[in-house]
Amino acid sequence: MQLISIGLIMLSAAVWELNIIVVLKSYVCYSLYLILCGETACFLSCIMAYIWPILVIATLHLAQCNQEENKLEDIQPYIYQPSWMYTCVPDEGCERSDQPEPTGNTTNPRRSQTYESLDLCRTVCGRFGGFWPKPITAVLSTQTVKIHPNFLRFDLVDVPAEARQLMIQMTQLVGPNLMAECNGNVTDLVETPVMVYISVKNAATTLTWDTDEQYMLDLKVKDGEISTHIVAETVFGARHALETFTQLVASTRPEYSNSNACSLRIVSGAKIRDRPVYKHRGFLLDSSRHFIPLVDIKRTLDGMASTKLNVFHWHVTDSHSFPLESSRVPQFTRYGAYSAEEIYTTEEVRGLVQYAKVRGIRMVIEIDSPAHAANGWQWGKDYGFGDLAVCVNAKPWRQLCIQPPCGQLNPANSNMYRYLKELYQDIADFLGETPLLHVGGDEVFINCWNSSQEIVTYMKNQGYDRNVEGFMQLWSEFHYKALEAWDDVTKSSLPVMIWSSELTQAHRIQNYLDKNRYIIEVWEPLSSPLETMLLRMGYRIVSVPKDIWYLDHGFWGMTKYSNWRRMYSHVLPNHDGVLGGEVAMWSEYVDENALDTRVWPRLAAVAERLWANPSGGVYGAETRLNRHRARLIARGLRPDAIAPQWCDQHDNRCL
Amino acid sequence: MSRWGEALGRGASAQFARVGRMRRALVILAAVACTAAALLYWRQQTDEGMHRPLHSLYAGVEPQWSWICQQDRCERFLASETNVLQSLPTCNMLCSSTQLWPQPTGRVSLATAAVPVRANGFSLHVIASPSSLVTEHLHEAFALFKEDLTKLERSAGSDSRRGDIGYTRNVLVHIFVNGTGDPRLRLDTDESYKLSLKPAGHNLVVDITAHSFPGARHGFETLSQIIWLDPYAGSLLILEAATINDAPKFSYRGLLLDTARNYFPVNEIIRTIDAMASCKLNTFHWHVSDSQSFPLKLDSAPQLAQYGAYGPGAIYTVEDVKAIVRRAKLRGIRVLIEVDAPAHVGRAWTWGPSAGLGHLAHCVELEPWSTWCGEPPCGQLNPKNPHVYELLERIYAEIIQLTGVDDIFHLGGDEVSERCWSQHFNDTDPMDLWLEFTKKAMHSLERANGGRAPEMTLLWSSRLTRTPYLEKLDKKRYGIHIWGASQWQESRAVLDAGYRSIISHVDAWYLDCGFGSWRDSSDGHCGPYRSWQQVYEHRPWIEEGPSLTAGMPGVEPASPWRIEGGATCQWTEQLGPGGLDARVWPRTAAVAERLWSDSNERAEADVYLRLDTHRTRMVARGVRAAPLWPRWCSHNPHQCL
Repeated sequence: MQLISIGLIMLSAAVWELNIIVVLKSYVCYSLYLILCGETACFLSCIMAYIWPILVIATLHLAQCNQEENKLEDIQPYIYQPSWMYTCVPDEGCERSDQPEPTGNTTNPRRSQTYESLDLCRTVCGRFGGFWPKPITAVLSTQTVKIHPNFLRFDLVDVPAEARQLMIQMTQLVGPNLMAECNGNVTDLVETPVMVYISVKNAATTLTWDTDEQYMLDLKVKDGEISTHIVAETVFGARHALETFTQLVASTRPEYSNSNACSLRIVSGAKIRDRPVYKHRGFLLDSSRHFIPLVDIKRTLDGMASTKLNVFHWHVTDSHSFPLESSRVPQFTRYGAYSAEEIYTTEEVRGLVQYAKVRGIRMVIEIDSPAHAANGWQWGKDYGFGDLAVCVNAKPWRQLCIQPPCGQLNPANSNMYRYLKELYQDIADFLGETPLLHVGGDEVFINCWNSSQEIVTYMKNQGYDRNVEGFMQLWSEFHYKALEAWDDVTKSSLPVMIWSSELTQAHRIQNYLDKNRYIIEVWEPLSSPLETMLLRMGYRIVSVPKDIWYLDHGFWGMTKYSNWRRMYSHVLPNHDGVLGGEVAMWSEYVDENALDTRVWPRLAAVAERLWANPSGGVYGAETRLNRHRARLIARGLRPDAIAPQWCDQHDNRCL
Repeated sequence: MSRWGEALGRGASAQFARVGRMRRALVILAAVACTAAALLYWRQQTDEGMHRPLHSLYAGVEPQWSWICQQDRCERFLASETNVLQSLPTCNMLCSSTQLWPQPTGRVSLATAAVPVRANGFSLHVIASPSSLVTEHLHEAFALFKEDLTKLERSAGSDSRRGDIGYTRNVLVHIFVNGTGDPRLRLDTDESYKLSLKPAGHNLVVDITAHSFPGARHGFETLSQIIWLDPYAGSLLILEAATINDAPKFSYRGLLLDTARNYFPVNEIIRTIDAMASCKLNTFHWHVSDSQSFPLKLDSAPQLAQYGAYGPGAIYTVEDVKAIVRRAKLRGIRVLIEVDAPAHVGRAWTWGPSAGLGHLAHCVELEPWSTWCGEPPCGQLNPKNPHVYELLERIYAEIIQLTGVDDIFHLGGDEVSERCWSQHFNDTDPMDLWLEFTKKAMHSLERANGGRAPEMTLLWSSRLTRTPYLEKLDKKRYGIHIWGASQWQESRAVLDAGYRSIISHVDAWYLDCGFGSWRDSSDGHCGPYRSWQQVYEHRPWIEEGPSLTAGMPGVEPASPWRIEGGATCQWTEQLGPGGLDARVWPRTAAVAERLWSDSNERAEADVYLRLDTHRTRMVARGVRAAPLWPRWCSHNPHQCL
């Protein structure tokens, strides 16, 4: 199976390679075409075409200087020892020198394969260098060349016009990400042009489960120019290629250096063929138990983009609070937000959807229902619409819900469906084309509904028994009506996501939930047979094994913490019905203060599992994960350490 | 609660006793009126009407929620549903419980009315001070206190911030220190203090009486805890009157931070010290070096950092240490630097041969590590090389000089691999070597300390602190830092033998537990995670105190346990700077209250509330403490229990 697919990739690679040559040969023609077509999007490329000869001359000159590049470092201020050197030892990794060596030691000419910077050593050492997640196939040069992000240029001639605006936004992230490797200040100015030619075939700008995310990346140094060719089916594949591109670069500054001098080097040759194993590679963030400020969500999205995760599952509401502003129903936040400042305004949400998209991430908004809904829904009576939710903030809570505050939507009140639909309308507006809704659907507490006379009467009128199955009928009726509302809003019948629950038990689900309409997000523990049974029945699932991929575990009750090794080692069932998996960050015990340290680098570990599904264990992954951890820190995140720094500096010595 | 009013009444009548009857009657009447007025200040706030004065601050603000104190609890209401506006912090401060952390051990009475103040409206008057050094420290500590207030003031959201909050009171802080002229925290420092706050004319006057600088500083800390930010008013509020008598139950209240497994920048350490001060911890146990790295760049032995640090920027210079020590001192905290020996050493000690000093350490980074030590990389000092002791003397002398701590010292001394030494000295029992090493290191320490042994020199509990070796350690000199589990026999034995002890039981106060193994080959890591409730409820001196075995047949009558205090331990194999705060806080704050107050209370409703308030306080000061529970639970006190 795998062989065939690799074969297919190679075959298509060969075909595409031909295309590249054609592209190269007709470069001038394309430039002319550009000038004629006069699109602003092509402006950059046009300029490049004009200053081409100058750049070539400049880089030729620079190439000569390259041999003596250490000269400048002589005049650097005195640097306190130690400075370790790292040698790439094949099959072993990067090895720290035995003795601390002075930085910029000119008497000891730089041996090949010896680096001052561990990051740089990692970038060229080993088959998969500093990549995270690792690509399907990669061939890397062990040589590097110095670059400066200011001389980075993108050629988007081969990007369909409809997708070009999005592609431009995607390319704009590359420079800052490279700068970040030098803490925003690349002091070593080299003018080598770094050209990135991007070719995209498909004009699609919407990310769905059908989006083709594969890409090819070829990097060569030729005539003093670094040229990178990226070929992808969609802009989203091309974006992943850009992410991989940034992972070919590292700074030469030693870690823990106290000098400001910093230059960037890029691997001087690379050939990468890559595609994800799973289509749905997600992260769930709960912003109801605690409000998570927008800036922290954005930082999390940055981290997700760096690991090629593609779904941000936003568990934006719960019984605790309702921070999502609805332009149609302002009462939701007025009655549900923690404060007037702790609200995601409609503009902010739209901005966030776009922010995610530019990072290759699809936003899934979850309005948990019918359970896990309370604050935000308690205004019905005040406005003459009856109880939209029941048992809201009930005391004592233990009889009526799983955790305080209690609350469940009131399925006997048709006004509830009316406002749910208005809310769905808002969500559809937020998400744009092919919106993906998560309807929640977990942990319905029968006792709660059973405690409401209104609901009991309604059930009687509907002919439902007042027993478990009767309540299941009521529950499924809720989902039926909710889906109807969503379909009305979207004017189509898109699949929606739903949590596994009592309703999705193998003996019930087929009576209540259509397998073409519902993607089941299974959060059962590993020991549960539900996942296998659902797959057998033909349901599509997203897997979130709670005893492995729940990040809040280990901090409350009897739950157990999973470290990155455990999370990484978990392999999803090999089945077409498995769309992918998610890592969940429930926020009972996390707010913006603890967010990063809980999420990273563990989320990155799962990202590689979902992208590459590697057969090797944690053994070979740790050095690359450490490299990626450094990258996350450079990009402003605050990941946990996974081992003493000594282990990072001494590959394979801490087994 | 009414005492203050009565005292005022009595004082007033005494003064006018000689005057005629009419006047006396008048005076008594006035006194009664005075008492009544005072009582009004003190009474519980049950009448909603009394919120009005604060309400006037809220003009032009439209908050979402309002909290009203009902039956000693703050209840949340939609602001539009009630005619009283009150923010959550203000309600919490004025409702039933104190919001102090740690809870004072003496008498506390707090007003239930508040007045607005500004950070720059506070001024210090040192009325009595035993030395100019203490005076100087008081002024600097007060400046830090004002800095904390300013930070809090600035944390008001811009939305609720209003330019004019009207009339604010000035606060005069009067300090009386009558006691030691040494501003340092010593083993015998009396950290008690008395604080009284009352209105005087248009101002408020705070009297803080203490017997030492650290005590007075704790007074500042408590004062800062009866000041809070009202987010709706955008202004600081202070309780209008208070009296607090307070003293700690244990004299050693610490946090250990390991900066060897992973490096932590100086600003992270300073922030940690500030956070410690906020809950009156007094010992920053700095486990500065280990086999993985030696980041401390000492003038007396710069080679250690040169060979031992992770990189040129991963070091603590003498200036860095001085800055940390200075900050700690102003916060009433001693910095206890531990250079672990003879085990837990590494590459830092490998320069001996090239400097002509011979091998200073053996087994350094020897493979396979699992044969020679507990975690990679291995390394152990060479106990038979006299240069080792000379170096230790130099290191100890510089540490004492840098920290100014000479009454207490930590020699390390845990987890010696007998096999490593046996390999090199097959003619000597490694346990004898270890004992000999400890004694020689002690001599080095004595010489480093001007010929005197510190009052208490700490050793980690280990095989050396078990019979028959324990008996060879002088009780007058050595204290034992017990890290073994509380149920372990040897943990008890040390206490029963009457050694002065510091408690850091791995099963309660190790903050690194519960994160799984960081190596492929072992799951030897402790677990599960110690929750703040567990941390808080750990009271080995009560649960397993010597009284339990007293009178049991066959059990020797044990001498009384001499527990000096305890510390949480943050080992950092799996922790970098990014996660420091959320890992350490609020759990270490829980220990702080255990060691300061040691009340019978378990982690109950009141503790949740006060810790939640304290956590908010820490966050406002820039400490990224992890939350205790969902935000809704903070908004609805008592409803998540």
